[in-house]
Amino acid sequence: MIIIVIGSVVSIAVILFLLAIRPGDLPKPVPVSPVAHLDERKAAIYENLRDLQFEYRVGKLSDMDYQATKLDLQRELAKVLAEIESVLGALPATKTPPAAAPASPRKFMCPHCAAEFPQALKFCGECGKSMKARA
Amino acid sequence: MENVGALAVLLAFCVALYAIVSSVVGKLKRKPFLVLSGERAVYSVFILLTIASGILVYAFLTGDFHFSYVAAHSNNAMPSVYKFAAWWGGQEGSLLFWSWLLSGYGAVVVFTNRRKHREFMPYVIAILSTIQLFFLLLNAFVVSPFQVLAEGQVVTTVADGAGLNPLLQYPAMAIHPPMLYLGYVGFAVPFAFAMASLISRAKGDSWIHTTRRWTIVTWLFQGIGIVLGSAWAYHVLGWGGHWAWDPVENASLLPWLGGTAFLHSVMMQEKKGMMKVWNMVLIAATFFLCIFGTFLTRSGVVSSVHAFAQSPIGKYFLVFIIVGVAATIALILMRLPYLRSESELESVVSRESSFLFNNLVLLASCFAVLWGTMFPVLSEAITNEKISLDAPWFNRLMIPIGLFLLFLTGVGPLFAWRRTSLESLRKNFQIPGIAGLLLAIGLFIGGTRSPWAITSLGLCLFVAASIFTEFFRGARAIHQKNGINFAHAVFELTHRNTRRYGGYLVHMGIVLMFVGWTGAAFNKNVVKEVKIGDSFDIASYRIKVTDLQQGDKGNYQWDSAVLEVSKNGSFLQTMEPERRFYKASQQGAAHIALRTRLNEDLYINFAAAQGNQATIQAYVFPLVTWIWIGAIVLVLGTLVALVPSKVTRQYARTEVVGITQKHVTVEN
Repeated sequence: MIIIVIGSVVSIAVILFLLAIRPGDLPKPVPVSPVAHLDERKAAIYENLRDLQFEYRVGKLSDMDYQATKLDLQRELAKVLAEIESVLGALPATKTPPAAAPASPRKFMCPHCAAEFPQALKFCGECGKSMKARA
Repeated sequence: MENVGALAVLLAFCVALYAIVSSVVGKLKRKPFLVLSGERAVYSVFILLTIASGILVYAFLTGDFHFSYVAAHSNNAMPSVYKFAAWWGGQEGSLLFWSWLLSGYGAVVVFTNRRKHREFMPYVIAILSTIQLFFLLLNAFVVSPFQVLAEGQVVTTVADGAGLNPLLQYPAMAIHPPMLYLGYVGFAVPFAFAMASLISRAKGDSWIHTTRRWTIVTWLFQGIGIVLGSAWAYHVLGWGGHWAWDPVENASLLPWLGGTAFLHSVMMQEKKGMMKVWNMVLIAATFFLCIFGTFLTRSGVVSSVHAFAQSPIGKYFLVFIIVGVAATIALILMRLPYLRSESELESVVSRESSFLFNNLVLLASCFAVLWGTMFPVLSEAITNEKISLDAPWFNRLMIPIGLFLLFLTGVGPLFAWRRTSLESLRKNFQIPGIAGLLLAIGLFIGGTRSPWAITSLGLCLFVAASIFTEFFRGARAIHQKNGINFAHAVFELTHRNTRRYGGYLVHMGIVLMFVGWTGAAFNKNVVKEVKIGDSFDIASYRIKVTDLQQGDKGNYQWDSAVLEVSKNGSFLQTMEPERRFYKASQQGAAHIALRTRLNEDLYINFAAAQGNQATIQAYVFPLVTWIWIGAIVLVLGTLVALVPSKVTRQYARTEVVGITQKHVTVEN
């Protein structure tokens, strides 16, 4: 008899745990950047550049190897940056309108991709376009 | 209580099935409620299996022998630690242990990713739960550990159990299976993430970043498990061998080799976006080799000293492996367009190609071990004659492969990524190459004639010198630039890139283990039938028998010899090898006497007692201690690689001005 009681209690507890979900329990949706994979690639190239620099400094690489590999990495970086720009450029214009003021007086927002920066810049560090508002 | 245990397993089976359905439906129908419910199902399975396992362990500790599993694997006189270890000492319990570990891993995966990777987490849960469901199917319906002893329809019990296999009543054996299982089970996690990222067509390598530490930890557990098994064989079996190419040993080695190949090739994907298909294939192969390893251990398909674990569950594993492999291949083929390489191999003389070679050689070794292990089954199927391949066959094949891998371990760090000119090669190879060559010549002049031993020790020094050079050059650069002392510079260097320098330490551990294995070329042994007062020589040791004793310890009876060991006329120590006979299981076991030094071990086994005589086997194993030291260095190196690097992967803001913070740091 006691076995049946224990079994029933465990079963009911499991069913309640599985199904008694309140709206507040649901995790908030996290926005995923459309260029997250390209950002990863960009970070990897920077890391490769840093490694290359260090290996050259410790004397593991000849000048020729260093220059050739550095050039390759810079080309790859340019390609990834261009791809990021094209992905962001192709996004529907649902972001903050160009004329909108920055949310905070101390922040500077890119009129093209809505990225925010703490200081004034000529070109956006995220999409590379001019930080001046579109005409 | 057995009913509650069985019910918990049955409920866990139903809940795992629910986890699969609710996660997939929740994802496809975009119902976050169902996805969350699926996550909770994973926690529930863990809780239910913890209850079931707790009941079984409690039955062991209290000697509840009406559980047939407890009666078969425990007895009253057994120490509590082995009563606990008996949980995984037999078929039913070890499969429950597998399930419990997997459910624990699943719960940790769900908890640590509860706000991350929402796009493919439902598929991760579905895949993990499918694997879980398979093991729960075995636990609930095929080999339940909650069966009771019965006479007719009446539940009965026995006064005392049959006891755990005496070979398993050894401290390392209490940890060896859990470690191996943590490895076997753990590879399910990176596999699930890899397949989930394929199913959801996720861009980028986030599955690799997320599972990097999982894979390393799992690989470490597997490695520790293998070394503990090796140490157990050395200390317990009485013949001094630490590896016999037994099918079950091989089964544990296969996924470790696959995991090692994966850990290397995954760097190619992270660094250059290459080998994406290969990495998928490797992680899938590693996972299925884990299942295959469990299948080999548990099915008894190949006869083995581990045959105590035989049972007819093999067909279930075979179906699971065939269906799983077919589904994985189909999925990879369907997603080939998403796995295109982002760059190509620039030069054959580069670190990439050394990684590629390393992968091919590891895979070749994996195939060789698999072929050798399965040969008895294949030969029986084709010729009706069971032909087993013995240790010399494996050694003939694996020694050259192992030495080539050792060579690549040294060569890899000396090559640069993408290309290495002759000038760089000369610069990097000079010191390690000359050091290795000089040692090989020195050994030959010193009288060593074994070509394998000379090659191995020469390569060991070559690899050690290349690792030392890497640390020295890097630390010197930091020391000169920052003005800190050299030891601090070494620490700083390692901390800046823990993954790389931890990896070098792991390589150093492998080198030390090779030194230990190479010592086998110089082993010596003597077998003597002796009486009290007799003495005999082995290598430079003289061994004198001063007494032969016997006694009873409750759990077992024992015979032992008291031996005085001297060297060049001076007394060293007294050694007492023992032979035990366990009463409950009616089986004997060796309890060897060991004198361990860095240069050699003196290993003495009490083989048998006949009246006033005893058979003593004495061995001298040179360098064997370096295997265990190497293993410790390997573990430390792996732990270093797990520490987050001081310099996290960040955009160099000096080069690209004004990058926003939102994607700056990428998990390293």
